[in-house]
Parts: sequence; structure tokens; C-alpha cells
Amino acid sequence: MNLKRLTIYGFGHFHDRTFDLSSGLNFLVGPNEAGKSTLTQFITAIFFGFPTKKHPELRYEPLDGSRFGGAITFQQDNTTYTVTRTDGPKGGTVTLHDDTTNLDLPAALLTKLLAPVDGQLFTRVYAINEPRLGTVFTASKQELVDRLRHVGAVGSEYWLQQAQRLDQAADDRYKPQGRNPLLNQQLREHQELSAKLAKANGAYQTYWQLRQQQVDGESQQRSLQATLTQQRQATTRLTQLLAQWPTYQQWVALAPAAEAVSHGFTATDATRLEQLRSAATASEQTLTDDQQRFAELQRDQQLPPLFDQYLPVADKLDALAQRLPQVQGSQQEAQRLVTSQRDLEQRAGILEQQYAVNGQMPRPFSLATTQQVRQLTGELTTANQKRRRLQQQLNQRNEQFRQVQPTRQQHHNPLADKQVGWLAAGLVVLVGAMFLPNTFLKLAGALLGVAVGYYGVFLVDSSTPASRQLDELTEDIRDLQAQLREGGQAVDALTNQLDAIGDAHGMSQVPLEQWSAAQSAIAEWERLTRLLETTAEQAATQQATVQQFLQEATTILPALADQDFAAVASQLMQLQATRQALSHQETDVAALATRLQADQAAVERGKRELQAFLRTRNLSDVAAFYQQYQADRTQTERQQQRQTLATQIGSDNLTTLQQQTSQTALQQQVTMAQQKQVTTQATLDQTTSHLATLQGQLAHLTASGTQATLRQKLADLETQMTQTAATWLTERLVSQWISAALAAASGDRLPQIVAQASEFYGKLTENRYTKIELTPTTLRVQRATGDWRNVGQLSRGTAEQLDLAVTLAFAVVMNRQVQMPLIIDDGFVNFDEARRQAAYRLLATIATDVQVILLTADESVTTHTTGTGKVLRLTE
Amino acid sequence: MKFIHAADLHLDSPFLGLTGLPASLATTVRESTFTAATKVFDRALSEHVDFVLLAGDLFDRAEQSVAAQAFLFTQFARLDDAQIPVIVSFGNHDYLTEQAVTYPTNVTVLGEHVTTTTLQLASGETVAVSGFSYPQRWVSDDPLAAYPVHAATNWHVGMLHGAVTTGSQDHYAPFTVAELLRKRYDYWALGHIHHRQSLNDQPPILYAGNTQGRAVTETGAKGAYLVHSQDGQLVPEFFPTATVIWETAQIDLDGTDLAALNEELIDWLAAHPADQPTLTAISLTTSAPLSVAEQQRLASGDWLQLFQRTHQRQLKAAQRYIVRLSLDETTAAVPAPNLDQSYWELGAKTVFTAANRQKLFGKLAQEPALAAWFDRPETAASLETAARRRLTQLMGEEGQDES
Repeated sequence: MNLKRLTIYGFGHFHDRTFDLSSGLNFLVGPNEAGKSTLTQFITAIFFGFPTKKHPELRYEPLDGSRFGGAITFQQDNTTYTVTRTDGPKGGTVTLHDDTTNLDLPAALLTKLLAPVDGQLFTRVYAINEPRLGTVFTASKQELVDRLRHVGAVGSEYWLQQAQRLDQAADDRYKPQGRNPLLNQQLREHQELSAKLAKANGAYQTYWQLRQQQVDGESQQRSLQATLTQQRQATTRLTQLLAQWPTYQQWVALAPAAEAVSHGFTATDATRLEQLRSAATASEQTLTDDQQRFAELQRDQQLPPLFDQYLPVADKLDALAQRLPQVQGSQQEAQRLVTSQRDLEQRAGILEQQYAVNGQMPRPFSLATTQQVRQLTGELTTANQKRRRLQQQLNQRNEQFRQVQPTRQQHHNPLADKQVGWLAAGLVVLVGAMFLPNTFLKLAGALLGVAVGYYGVFLVDSSTPASRQLDELTEDIRDLQAQLREGGQAVDALTNQLDAIGDAHGMSQVPLEQWSAAQSAIAEWERLTRLLETTAEQAATQQATVQQFLQEATTILPALADQDFAAVASQLMQLQATRQALSHQETDVAALATRLQADQAAVERGKRELQAFLRTRNLSDVAAFYQQYQADRTQTERQQQRQTLATQIGSDNLTTLQQQTSQTALQQQVTMAQQKQVTTQATLDQTTSHLATLQGQLAHLTASGTQATLRQKLADLETQMTQTAATWLTERLVSQWISAALAAASGDRLPQIVAQASEFYGKLTENRYTKIELTPTTLRVQRATGDWRNVGQLSRGTAEQLDLAVTLAFAVVMNRQVQMPLIIDDGFVNFDEARRQAAYRLLATIATDVQVILLTADESVTTHTTGTGKVLRLTE
Repeated sequence: MKFIHAADLHLDSPFLGLTGLPASLATTVRESTFTAATKVFDRALSEHVDFVLLAGDLFDRAEQSVAAQAFLFTQFARLDDAQIPVIVSFGNHDYLTEQAVTYPTNVTVLGEHVTTTTLQLASGETVAVSGFSYPQRWVSDDPLAAYPVHAATNWHVGMLHGAVTTGSQDHYAPFTVAELLRKRYDYWALGHIHHRQSLNDQPPILYAGNTQGRAVTETGAKGAYLVHSQDGQLVPEFFPTATVIWETAQIDLDGTDLAALNEELIDWLAAHPADQPTLTAISLTTSAPLSVAEQQRLASGDWLQLFQRTHQRQLKAAQRYIVRLSLDETTAAVPAPNLDQSYWELGAKTVFTAANRQKLFGKLAQEPALAAWFDRPETAASLETAARRRLTQLMGEEGQDES
């Protein structure tokens, strides 16, 4: 494409100007302010549209108010088109006219005609000015590539943008070297998770190892436990043996006693006894309880206090009570007998008092003696009668005598001798009686003494001498006295005989005249005495009956003790009466009474049985039984104890113990066994604790759930990663696709451009630099000397020359595809003269292929470049 | 006699194709293989079964899951306490290795060669169980020859982890149903195929399927068989164990934009509540294509994510979690680039090549997970489709910019 004519309606300070251009190199010369930049902008604006009104400084609207816009006539593919653009919406109103065919074309076709060049590419590549040359400093391969792609397709800018955006998006998702993009993060996370999982999986091995250890540990534990059990048994056995040592010693000590044989009561007996005792006790207890209850009831019933005692023994007592009248008879009889006895005793006492000498009754005479005594007494009576007669005679004589000689003194003297003798004899008897043992005898003795005295004083004084007539009288008297003496002697003989009889029969104190009475009294006394005995016997019998009754009653009813019969009888009768009264009433009391009876019966039965038990064993009491039983048992126990000890020790142990020498030795064995056991226990504890630890570790491994969580996380993450990767790949693919499509349109020109640029750069720098190379980020150049320089190391001019070289190369290379004029706006200001001339020469060379429009203030071009190009002046 | 036939417990293996599950559901999902297996063992205990058959793939040896092993120990111990024998034939995932630590005594792990274990039941009956364990990942030979014929026991049960012969690439103990029937066993407990199915009615030849679905391909109820004797035959009864169900659903969209999709999806959820937590993959057909931008939003998953966040309540009520929402590709027509078509096609030819994809994929190929996805045959096509969609979208935008 080359521009043939620029027609400016109004643009900047230009209005109604026309520039006709040659197809080769055109110099548009003008000083500053002449409008070089305006013209560049004009061409851009007509082709690609006016900038929006937001940027009025870029619109170059005519200052004088003439019509904004203009037209460009250009030739492409042998067809001449004229495009006009005037002020209008969206970049201005465009008309396109095919000058060759003289046809108006749709404005939209312009873009296609210009394609793939758009405004951006045009300003960046084809409209060169000094500031833009400076962009070489930032030029990079990518930029060049982009520029290249730019020309590939219509709307390439959009697609490049999209491709870029896609790449950016893709980069945000994943960069092979990146860290922050999503997929990188996910990969990293995946890696971490995998590592974690691997670590967690490491637990798997650990798990099996632990399991193995657990199994080993458990088997070890079992064997240790078995060993320990054995050792424990051994220790226990030894300990037992040790503990049994004293027992064993006891057993040994008990050994001799084992021979003793014993008899006695068996435990059964003891049990039986205990049973009996307890039965008795129980019965008593029941009885006591019932009695108590009965007492209570009695209180309620207001029964006599004795009644409750009576009740248990009622049947016995009733039997007893039946005998009561009889006993009462006995009692009365006894009383009567006692009274009679007393009477008899009194009578006998009187008799005794009368006749007893020295407390002893005289003896009765035998029949012969009575006969003798009667005879003697008869004789004595006769003798005495004779004497009395004699005495009377004597008395008469004596009266006569007294009458004859009544002196008293004579009377006195003969008396004295005899009286003193009797008195002394009575006194001796009296004193002697005092030494007798019995009071009665003493009294009797005393009386006898007194009687003797009396007799001596009064009775012996019988013969009294006669008076003077005495002689006669006296003779008489004497005769009489002699007779008297004779008679006296006969009497004395008789008396002596009688006395002998009396002495023999203890009747010496009894006057003879009373003998008969005495004898009958004695007989009476004898009879009385015999009667008394009989009576006493009978009384005793009756009293015994009563006493026995009382005894029985008291036994049955102890409350009745120490009471006389009458009281007992009355109480008994009262009890009978009460019972009689009660028996008519069906009350609790009656029942209880019955029960009390039963209880009593039970108690007695118990007692009887107990007694029977004891009796059959020939024992006095329970204590005796126990004593014997205990003794027996002790013996048995001793034997049993030994047996028990033997059993306790056990036959095995006993045998073992018998083999043991001493306790110390045994103790040592125990200690050793214990030590072994402790060691085994310690090992076992260790194993057990190890197992517990293992269990804990296993539980921890199992419970952590890390593996499963990680695995699921990983699975989820992989799903996410796949999605991300798919998206990333899609983006990359789309981007690539865009690039590929653009590349297909643009061709792969870059190497050509670089080669061309190298050539141009050499020319521009008078071969100071020989090669340009694109690096991933920027350009670098090789000096003729061979060393490399980065763009940053170049001088401004040289750098601008580099950019120019690249740009020109691009334009030249791309010219085969895109024919677009190069518009250089005063681009060489920083070039030295030589290089500027070189640039001109280069442009002249290029211009054969590419239309070049050089806008410059350098007037020298007009002279130095004569013939190389068309010169137009901007100023009129 | 009564026993349980279960297979493919795949304990502690992760669920595939899930992202951003709610925490509670994630927990359920993570524990689901265990929960499902526990249900199997619970059933064994509650039914007082005579024995339990586990036909392989109890766990994935490659996963090296401690939890899985510990779980098995615990569960086997439970059965041991109840004196229930367990017979295990390892499969391709849990193939036999030298493992010093053995399971409790009630567990019989079948060896690498076919062995027959005879059980004496409490009822007095005898049962012979024949089977083998994989010694490595692949067993390419038909193992049936090694199986004995029906033993002189009341029952004979075969255990086999494998797949029916297809003629090529048979790495998993290939067999034919006819071979199985020839053994005259009373029951064949099969494992390996995760989809529960019956190959023969009587005697039953059954795949128990896995006890818990773990990917969108493993849909429907999952569980095991409780088998009991009845009139001289063995009758299997399926019981479900899965705590999380996978499901695929097809929704025909009446509307033509995402707003309509939103409404219809909510309606669909309300109309199709699940009985238990269900991971649902939905594919959409539309009467008219969605706009390119909306297709893009759907494809990126952004829209679904937003939907899940916005409609948590409805999803929870329906017990569903939507794992995937895909447009039926036939309705997602990509308008051809209409500009510079030749350039685009020219570019496409250079870009959509295996070499370029490989080059672009570059170091990512070192990531096994990505490489696996990348190497899948459908990946290339889906990538190109996605790229075309994206380009179309960009063209559309370009058009909009110009207009």
C-alpha cells in the first residue's frame, strides 16, 4: 500500500491542503511548528478514526472552524481507494471510494483493507518518531512477537488481549515454576498431603510392627504368667510349709499323746444334754412368760396373788387339797392328842412331882414285894399301933409324969443331940443335891435334905421321958420306953426292911403309909407314861401327816412355806374356791391357766428328762457331766487336733516338712523362691506395661483417623486439581489456539525481521554493531569486536538506531504481507551526521519496497539526498 | 443354617469426585465404609449366623490403612466372642502378603491355592467352603479347575473374587457361569464386581456388590446377603448397609436459563427427597441451548457451588448433595467461529494435538493423579470441547464489543 495523496479539509492548523506523495521516499520538510506531528496524526486519524472527544488535544480539530477531517487516496493491490473521514460519531464518519472502479464501498471494508494493521500497530510500528524510538528501551521479544501477531488477523488486538488474558488467567491457575497460582498451590498442597499421607502410611508399617510386638508381647506375657503361676505356687507351697512349721512342731509335740485312749461321753450326749437343757430352759422361759402374762391377767382379774403360782401346780395341789379334810382331821386329832398329851404330862408331872425322887419315879412293887410290904406294913402297923398304944400309955405316963414333974429343961436337952445329927444329915443331903446334874434332881435332893433335917428335928422327937411318978411312971415309962424301944426296934427292923424295899424301889422318900397310894400312883404314872407315849406317837403321826401335807404343799407351792397349816389350808381352800369360780368362766385366764399348767408340766418333764439323762449316766449334775465330757473331749480334741494339724498341713506337706531340717533352711528356700518370683513379676510388669503402651500406641494410630481424612482430602483435592488443570489446559489451549491462529495469519517472520534488523543496524552504525539477538526479555547487540551489549548499555542515539533498525526490518519483512507506509517524524535528531546520512541512505534503499514518508526539519536532506526521494515543503 | 455373604468392603477407601462436602456429610462419607461393614457384622451377630463369608477386597492394601486393619481386628474379635467363624478370601485389592500378625482364631484366611474349609454347625450340619486368596494384584488364570466338586457335606459353598471371562484383559480370576454350575455347589459367593447382581438363580451365584458406594458409578442400595437354608436350597436375602447413597438423575429443563434451572432444581429436590444421605449427580437436558456465558458458568462449577450454598436447607431436607451438575453435551452446541475460520482451523490443527497437549501438560504429567486424568481417552475430547466453548464465548464477547 502506498499513499498517493493527502487531502486535508481541516486538521490542526492545516486546512485545504493537499500533499501528493511518491510511492518511494518522500521528504516532508518543515521547521518546528510546521505541522510534522499534525500530519502524522492526520494519516493515523483518517485511517483509524479520530480520538474521542475526551482527548481534544489528540483530535487536532481545525482552529479556524473549517471542516474537520480529510481524505487519503491510497493504492493497494493495483486499486486506488480514497478514504474520507469527517467529524462524526465513533471515530468520525468514514466514506470509502474505489477510485479505480469508481465505486463507493462500505466503510467497514476499510478495516479489512488495512488489516491486519490497526491504529495501535500503526502508531507503534509505522508511525515512528523520536520518543517512540525510545521505546526500544522497553522493547522485548514479546512485544515484537505481539507486533508480529498484530498483523496476522483482523481484530488481532482483541485476540491478543484475550490470549494475554487467558494466559494471565492460566498463569493464575498454574505456572510450572510458580508458587502462587492455584494449581501450584494445589500441587503443593497435594505434595504436602501426600507427604502427610505417606507419613501416615508409615503408621501402617508401625501398626503392623506394633501388632507384631503386641503378639510377641502377649505370648511372652502368657509364658511369663505361666512361669509366674508356677513360681507363685512354689513360693506359696514353701510359704505354706514355712507357715506350717509351727503347726508341724505342734503336731510333733502332740505325737505321744496320740496313744492315750479315752472313754466318755460322745458329742451326741452333750448335744442331747444341751437339747434337754435348752428344752427345759425354753419350757421355763415359756412358763415365765406365761406366768408373767398370767400375772398381768391376774392383775386384771384381781385374782389372789398366790393363784398364778397355784395354777401351774394345780393338779398336784388339787390332789393334795382332796386330802385336806382328812389332814384337817389328822390335825385336829393331833391337836387333841397334843392336848391330851399335855394333860397326861401334867398328870404324870403331878405324880412325878409327888413321887419322883431325884427326878426319878419310884418303881412299882412286884406282887411278892407288895405282899411282903403289906405284911411288913401290917406288922409295922401292928408294931406302930402297939407303939402308939405304948406311946399313949407313955404319954399318959408322961402326962402323968409332967404333971408330976413338969420341967421343961429336961425336955430340952435330950432333944439336942438327935436334932443336930438330923440337921447335919439334911444339910449334907441338901448340899450334895446341889451337885446333881438335873435341876429336878437338885430340887428333889434339896427337898430330901430339908426332909431329912425336918425328920431329925421333929419326927425323931418321939420319946419323952416320964416324971417322978416318974419312977413308976418312969418305970412305966421305961418299960413303955423299953417296949417302945423294942417296938421301935421291931418297927425299925420293919422299917429297915421296908426302907430296903423302898430304897430298892426308889420309895425311900415316900412315907410308908403312902406307899400304897404311891404304888397305885406309880402304876397310874406308868399307865400315863405309856399312854403319853402312845399319844405322842399318835400325835407325831398325825402331825407328820399334816407336816407331810404341808411339806408337799410347800414343795408344790413354795409360797406356802413357813405358814401354819391352818393358813395353808385356808389358802388352799381359797385357791380351790377361786379355781372353782374360775373354772366356770371361759376366760383367757382359764386358757392361760391351762397353758400354765401345760407349761409347768413341760418344765417338769424337761427337768425329769434332764434328771433321767443324768441318772442314766450316773451323774449328779450337769456340771459333772461337762467336767467329764470336757475331759473326754480334751482328749479327743487333742487327738483330733493332731489329726486336724495333719490334715491342715496335708500329707504331702507333712512328708516334705519331715524332710526339712530346720525352719531357717525352709526360710531360705522361701526367700529364694520369692526373689525368683519378684524377678519374674518385674519382667511381667515390664511386659504388661509395654503391652499397655503398645495398646495405647495402637489405639492412637487407629483413632487418629488422619489417614482416612488425608486420603479423602487428597481424593477431593485431586478432583479439584483435575478441574483446575482442565481449566488451565483449556485456557492455555485457547490461548495457544489464538496464537496459532494469529501465527497462521502472520507467519513466522520473527527470525527474518531479526536478521533484517541486524543488517540494517550494521548499516546504521557504520558496522560498529553487527548482530541483534532477541532474548526472552529484551534485545542485545553484538559489537563488531564480538562482545555483547544490552540495550541499557547503549547510548541514546545508538539505541534509537537499534529501534529504527528493528522497525524498518519489521516493515520491510512484513511488507510482503502488509504494505503500509513508514512515517518517520523527525526521528534522527539524536543521530550524529554520519549516522543520519547512513539512515537516509538506508531509507532510500528501503523505499524501493516500502513507501517512506520522512518528516524532518533537516534542510540538508534537500541537498544531500538529491535524487533519492521527493521533497515536499510543509510551509507554503 | 444361615450365613452372611459380603464382599468388597473397601474399608477406608476415599470417595472419588467430591469437593467441598459439608463437614457433617464429609464425616459420614469418611466413615461410611466402616459403618457399612459394621452393619454387616452387626447383622451377623443379631441373626446368630453360622458363619460369615467375605469374598475379597475387604480393604485396599495400597492404601495402607491402619484404621481398616484395626477395624477388622475389632470386628473379627466381636464375631470371635460370639463364636461365629469368618472365612476370608482376599481379592485383587487386599491380596495376600506375608503378614506375621494373624487375625483372631475364628477367622480363616484362604490360601493362594484353592482350599476347602469344613465347618461343623451347631445344628449338626456340615458346610464345606472352597475358595482362594489372590497372591498378587492379578490372577489371570481360570481358577475353577482347582475347585473340588461338591463335598460329602450337607452344603458346599464356593467363594470367588473375580469376573466372568470376556476373552481379553481378564486379570481377575476369569470364570464362566457354566464352570461354576458344574461344581454342583449350593451357593457361589462372588466378589469383585461392585454392582450387586445374580448370575444364576438356583443354585444362587451372586455378586454381593460392595457394601458402600464410593463413586458416582456405584449408585443405588449397597449391602450384603443374608443366606439361609430352606427346603434343601440356599435362599439369599439382600440387606442394605450403605449410609451414603450415590444416585444419578436426569432433569429435562423447561427453561432456557440458569434462573429457570434454579427454580426447577428446587422443585425437583422437593419432589425427590432421598431416604438417606444421597450424593446425586444430575445431568441436564435443555429444550434450547443455554447462553454461552451460562454454559460457561455451569461448566466451571461456580453456579452449582453457589446453588449448594444458597439452597442448603432444601438440599438438607431432600437429604441430597449434588456432586455434579452437567449439561448434556448434545444440547451444548458450540457455534463455529465464523471469522477467519481458516486461520482458526489451521491453529486448531497445531494446538489440539496429543504432542501439544503433552507438551503443555509438561511437568504436570509427573503428578500421578493428574496424569491419570490426562491419560484418560475422553480427556482430550472434553478439553477440546471446553476450549471451543471458551473460544465461542470469546467470539461472542468480541461481537458484543463491536456492536
